[in-house]
Amino acid sequence: MKIRVFLLAVLVFISEGIFVEVFSGPLYRTDYILVPRFIMIFLVFLTVYGKKEMALWYGFGLGIFYDVVYTEILGIYTFTMPLMVYLSSQLMKVLQTNLGIVSGVSLVVISVLEIIVYELNSLIGFASLSFIDFAKMRLLPSLLLNLVFLLLFAYLFAKWMRKWTIDEDF
Amino acid sequence: MPQFFLNKKLIILLISIIFLVSLIGFSLRERDGLSWPEQFMKDSAGLVQTVFHKPASAIAGFFENLSDLRNTYEENKNLKERLEEYVKLETEIYDLEKENEELRAMVEKEESLSDYTVTQATVIGRSPERWHETLTVSKGSVNGIEKNMAVITAEGLIGKVKSVSQFTSTVQLLTALDPQNRISAVVQGKEPAYGFIQGFDEDKQALMLTGLLYDADIKEGSNVVTSGLGGVFPKGLVVGKVEEVIIDQYGLTQTAFIKPAANFDDVNDVMIVKRSTTEVDTDSTEGDDL
Repeated sequence: MKIRVFLLAVLVFISEGIFVEVFSGPLYRTDYILVPRFIMIFLVFLTVYGKKEMALWYGFGLGIFYDVVYTEILGIYTFTMPLMVYLSSQLMKVLQTNLGIVSGVSLVVISVLEIIVYELNSLIGFASLSFIDFAKMRLLPSLLLNLVFLLLFAYLFAKWMRKWTIDEDF
Repeated sequence: MPQFFLNKKLIILLISIIFLVSLIGFSLRERDGLSWPEQFMKDSAGLVQTVFHKPASAIAGFFENLSDLRNTYEENKNLKERLEEYVKLETEIYDLEKENEELRAMVEKEESLSDYTVTQATVIGRSPERWHETLTVSKGSVNGIEKNMAVITAEGLIGKVKSVSQFTSTVQLLTALDPQNRISAVVQGKEPAYGFIQGFDEDKQALMLTGLLYDADIKEGSNVVTSGLGGVFPKGLVVGKVEEVIIDQYGLTQTAFIKPAANFDDVNDVMIVKRSTTEVDTDSTEGDDL
């Protein structure tokens, strides 16, 4: 049943915005910037355990929604999310598929995504941090947050993706 | 050469990069409003957000309440002290208001730049990637929200409405680093000093008030409020207090660092401000100097 993948995608998408809003108090009081990238984790797991084609389209769709709903600068995520799906599928060609490695790949992909988005944003004048500050204040704490998320959900995501993307026999 | 054109992946990549650049260009230019597909996407996302926001914030609120309980005694003591000051202030304000009304009646001026009505709204989402500090709130154009309206909390100004869809709207916080995010403000004092709030200094955690005259005498600790001169914002919304004043690099103007009165971190409920005085000449106020 592919509808479950869709529902999970919606849930993951919404959860990022709500996570930041609900925990805004404790999250924003520190100097560090923690960015949830649950959508990216979802996409990587869909690529690896589900279908790559499907993940590309989901990356594209979620990217558009992300741009429209959260940033209002169209294009950045619409472009980078499918690109990251592609990157993760290329990486997995040379790596073994096990939970630890896939989680590691997710973190690598998240870092690449963060760096591309940072570069694009500083290009159009929305980011003024230096790269060192960006890495220290934003990238590392975000990776830590997403690592926690991976520890909690990696097993479930892998299980669901495998089960939900199987074509039903007629 | 034919090899190059046969490489499908490369072609796709090139086309997407062209597409990306044109899309970014499209969204960066000054737009009057969102296109309908964008509005539709925002509204549908807003709908789902509203559904999930209530239970999520209820759970988070419970834990927050627990931690608040520990400080209750201290806070209560402080509040009691403040309460006495408050009573005194209230009587003073009452007198002043009455006097103001009488004086207004004398000069037959009914409308004022500082009159406004507010619409309550709940924050249902926040941009997770923090380059663009935006909030999604639960009121849209059907509730009479318009682009560029001021958004405040009980403590002070937090931002302005960046875009509106039917049932939700997007608020850009003052801390967002957007060159188009400019708000006309005034430092209160014997001689008011006018400037623009533009940008946020991460190191100092302070807003920057730029364009102040180089000889303006600005005291640290004086209040900064909106000036109401831009066109959409009412007069007198609290922004914050002056922390530090520096001369800018060319020595022509001064920049003041302002400690914001409102807390940008923990925003749950906001008020969207509609100015009562209508704009006289909409053409001349079209710029972004609010």
